[in-house]
Amino acid sequence: MEPRPTAGLAMTSSSQELHRIVRINEQIKSVVRPAFRISVMALNAIMLARRAGDAARGFGVLSDELRRFAGELSQQMNGLRGLTASSVATVTALVKEARYLAISERITVVPPAVQEKLDEVRTRQRVAVHQRILTLRQTQASVRRLLTDEILPLMQLGTVLARSAHIEAAYGGRFAAELGQVSAEFSRTIDEIETALTALHKATGDEHR
Amino acid sequence: MKRAQIIFDDGGHRWLAIARDPDKPGYVIDTNEYLVISDGRGLLCDPGGMEIFPAVFSALSAEYDPANIDAIFASHQDPDIISSLSLWLEFNPALKCYCSWLWSSFIPHFGGGPETFVSIPDDGLDIIHGRLTLEAIPAHYLHSSGNFHLYDPKAELLFSGDIGAALLPPDEAGLYVEDFDRHIRHAEGFHRRWMGSDKAKLDWCERVSKLKIELMCPQHGAIYRGADVQRFINWFAELEVGVLRS
Repeated sequence: MEPRPTAGLAMTSSSQELHRIVRINEQIKSVVRPAFRISVMALNAIMLARRAGDAARGFGVLSDELRRFAGELSQQMNGLRGLTASSVATVTALVKEARYLAISERITVVPPAVQEKLDEVRTRQRVAVHQRILTLRQTQASVRRLLTDEILPLMQLGTVLARSAHIEAAYGGRFAAELGQVSAEFSRTIDEIETALTALHKATGDEHR
Repeated sequence: MKRAQIIFDDGGHRWLAIARDPDKPGYVIDTNEYLVISDGRGLLCDPGGMEIFPAVFSALSAEYDPANIDAIFASHQDPDIISSLSLWLEFNPALKCYCSWLWSSFIPHFGGGPETFVSIPDDGLDIIHGRLTLEAIPAHYLHSSGNFHLYDPKAELLFSGDIGAALLPPDEAGLYVEDFDRHIRHAEGFHRRWMGSDKAKLDWCERVSKLKIELMCPQHGAIYRGADVQRFINWFAELEVGVLRS
């Protein structure tokens, strides 16, 4: 079946998509900032655990895992950023091609000899717009897949690690109070990331509304 | 709706003017496009902006098959001159665009690739088109810093870009200048403000005075014929340019 996207609809979708990308990018920043804080906090916590000795060995292991978690999360966010950058490029091309189509569709009076060529050009332009829309949908699906299959499960791991660190802190002997403070800070930062990821998940789901 | 009108006809050698668009949105400046045909091939001078492409295309199609346009001449880089380039390329991807070397990396922002552009050096260029040799005549700083006009010695026709342009009221919008003194009032403000260099102006006046010109065709306004061409050159030579309207 010949694709029949309208130029106007493509332009409206493009505008909505650009707004959505802006929201996603803002939420990515809201994840990356606390993830970096986790990384720094975890380094300090590893040193503190070393000073505390055997009693804080478990806490040290969990802090190291939290540091890895933060690094992996940042990497995944970079992947997400790459996908949104690709979406911006696709939307830019879509706006351009939809504009060409809109202008071609405004040509009304042409002799029959020219009409054939005009139809050929319009068909090519419609196909180009249609293909851009498909590419955009594929990128949107990739964003959702990355978030659902990789990032959200990773986040669950982060939550578990923060909780475990909180428990381990209680066994820290004379360093228990200090470790408790660090673990509370871990938990607060993890909560912050979770809130941002929930908003991010919502932003990536906008196209299904 | 815009209409293509023949302004020179010598068998296989013709010039068409595409002018006056009453349906054009008011916020877009009115422009003239010119097509020179030789041996069946078309070269379009200043094809215009993207917004007016449908009107130009329809008007032109009524007289000529646009698939046979294989070259575009861009006097300079402004959007009302050449922003429709990408749409013309949709109809003929092999089309060549002649423009000043100064703009050959700027105009691609409107469309086209490295194979599209033919750079014109500052001194000008002979452009072979069908059986014709057209001359790209330097008109730098009038108003663009890399600016060319196109002269057809056989037709004695000079496409003069923004020089000679006039912003005409609807009741004086004929294709040709009929009353020079009345017409030139509509050209004065435009030339004072848009033409930035007195030296460049005198240089151009001297250069084109040596050419035989029967028709001088600007990108806005009406076409000068016969004695009005030299009348315009004299008027322009005397005009103080590069000044804000007082």
